Amino acid sequence: MPARVESLDARRKTRPTAALPEPSRALALRPLRAVPPAPPQRASATLRGLLREVGGELWKQFTPDVVGAIDAEVAARLTRVPIQPNEYGYDPWGMHFDAVRRALVVTTLLYRYYFRAETFGMEHVPDGPVLLISNHAGQVALDAAMIGTAMVLEREPPRIVRGMGEYWLPTVPFVNLLMSRAGSVVGTPKNCTDLLRNQEAVIAFPEGVRGMNKLFSERYQLQRFGTGFMRLALATKTPIVPVAVVGSEEQAPAIANFTQLGRLLGMPAFPITLTFPWLGPLGLLPLPAKYRIHFGKPMRFEGDPDDEDAVIARKVQRVVLTIQEMLDRGVRERAGIFF
Amino acid sequence: MAPAERVNKPALRGHGVTSARATRHRAAAPAAAARAWTCRRMRARVRPVTSKVLITGIAGGQGQLVTRALLQRDGDYQVLGIDRRPWEQRPRGVTMTLTDVRKRKFEDIVRRERPDVIVHLAGVRHFKANPALRHEINVNGTSRVLEFAMAHGVRQVVILSSSYVYGALPENPYYMDETFPLNSSRTYPEMRDLAEMDMVATAYLWQHPDIVVSVLRPVSVLGYHIHSAIGRYLKRGRVPTVMGFNPLIQFLHEDDLTEAIVLAIERGVRGAFNVVGPGAVPLHVAVREVGSVPMPLPEPIVRPAIARLFRWGLYPFPPRAMDFAKYQCTLDGSRFRAATGFAPRFSLAETFAAVRA
Repeated sequence: MPARVESLDARRKTRPTAALPEPSRALALRPLRAVPPAPPQRASATLRGLLREVGGELWKQFTPDVVGAIDAEVAARLTRVPIQPNEYGYDPWGMHFDAVRRALVVTTLLYRYYFRAETFGMEHVPDGPVLLISNHAGQVALDAAMIGTAMVLEREPPRIVRGMGEYWLPTVPFVNLLMSRAGSVVGTPKNCTDLLRNQEAVIAFPEGVRGMNKLFSERYQLQRFGTGFMRLALATKTPIVPVAVVGSEEQAPAIANFTQLGRLLGMPAFPITLTFPWLGPLGLLPLPAKYRIHFGKPMRFEGDPDDEDAVIARKVQRVVLTIQEMLDRGVRERAGIFF
Repeated sequence: MAPAERVNKPALRGHGVTSARATRHRAAAPAAAARAWTCRRMRARVRPVTSKVLITGIAGGQGQLVTRALLQRDGDYQVLGIDRRPWEQRPRGVTMTLTDVRKRKFEDIVRRERPDVIVHLAGVRHFKANPALRHEINVNGTSRVLEFAMAHGVRQVVILSSSYVYGALPENPYYMDETFPLNSSRTYPEMRDLAEMDMVATAYLWQHPDIVVSVLRPVSVLGYHIHSAIGRYLKRGRVPTVMGFNPLIQFLHEDDLTEAIVLAIERGVRGAFNVVGPGAVPLHVAVREVGSVPMPLPEPIVRPAIARLFRWGLYPFPPRAMDFAKYQCTLDGSRFRAATGFAPRFSLAETFAAVRA
């Protein structure tokens, strides 16, 4: 037995030295690989690197971290939103708080620095289920985003507004994800009812595409309202808060609308504005009109949700008149379009 | 059709003293015990004490789970079954016959055994079989099960349908209830037989009001024992998905579905019911939780690729199935909850863990 142990020990001692190559030779081979040859650098690349180094430092030194500050503020406000997501962070309609936060950082930049939005009458928005009804304009639907941002930034406690999207939106790749993760759903009556029963704030634009693509000459004139929202409000006994957005109707002044051409291209409309389609997709960028968002007193309606069209239309007309009056007053009292 | 009216308590089912639990309870008062004893002696001659449950597809994962769950209920149930595959390690007292719902032997068994309840789980769910066979087994098979049940005095038939019958369409609202049309065949003709089978069963609800038909439409089921389509899809390692889409999908644990089937028998509920689990997550989250990696591909690439792979037998799902990786098909389960008091016991994380293990 001892002899066997000895031999094992001996083998252990001998094996490493025998297996490894000689250190001097191994080192001699290495230097070539240890220091990789420097890639040939062009002057422009060096200059760019230098600019990035210096510029980045300077940029950080002289500007406050706007995006970081907004991110922190939005995150802090979102913690007070009374929505309980499931164990994976999703609410029953596919909303995720991280996605909402990221979307809100972008819209807050627009809200504060591009449209320099002002909000009036936020105290009128009650807790619990509420239906926000607003005018719709501006070719690109930024009014919904701005109202949603206002509800998070200006309200106590903050609320996430649930949008009602068009029926074709779920078929568009990525757009459907942005829509559902940020808290919007397809605008079916069932989705709206379910959200209201879940104590959510739902926004609807009864003007729809008619409003979004109205011409500059028709600005601040409400188009025909759909009646679906009123039946839903009656069925769920939800208060309606009229909202008037002043400024959105000047952000993309359309002088003509080729609906036929738009239909050919699969779009709901084909507006001709000062910048679109002349500048291509860049022309979709709205003008920096100043947004003023007015929230009105909540309106409560009672009655049979399955009543005749004429009865429902009378109730809808009261909402239309309220919003129109708020719009007229907002336009009359504002200092200017862009300031 | 108020669900509450249809709920039959087991003790009030007209069998006299049916459960051992009830007997024990009555033994507390001597007079009542004596009455119960005579009552039981008298009824026993006329009708069996326990409910006899016939399970089609008993050797499948779900069939085995339902069998074991029924046997655990204090001896209230006697279980027998049929299947095309043998079940070697079946519990004692379970008799099974090797046959299938299309065979004459199946009718003989129903006639001879006179079960109180038939749980119809047999069906072809995979797409390797040709559509004619799928149709024959799923639609005609279900139709035969219901026919024999009617002819031979079966009290209740439980039919396992699925949530896929509603179809994945872009205009689907969230949380559809049982009144929504079964749209799956509009975009997914390979699954027409499942929707048709469901309709055959629901037609019995108004055609034959004297037999209790319970149609259960569970959401995507995951579990260790069963081989569901969604389970096979999620466990592929690299899971092809459609780029730019990530729909919410609801999941249910196999044991919760078993519990739902047993509850449907116990309460004798009549009608079509969505059976919904603990909640919904986007497809990609589910893929990662199961231990696979989502592989999002642009739709113009993924559809033709899957069409070819499916034709060559290299991929188990037809290209139209990708609709379920694009659009929501989420169900509202409140009707079943109200009728039976069903509540899922497994959380989403536990449900995914059952497949990952």
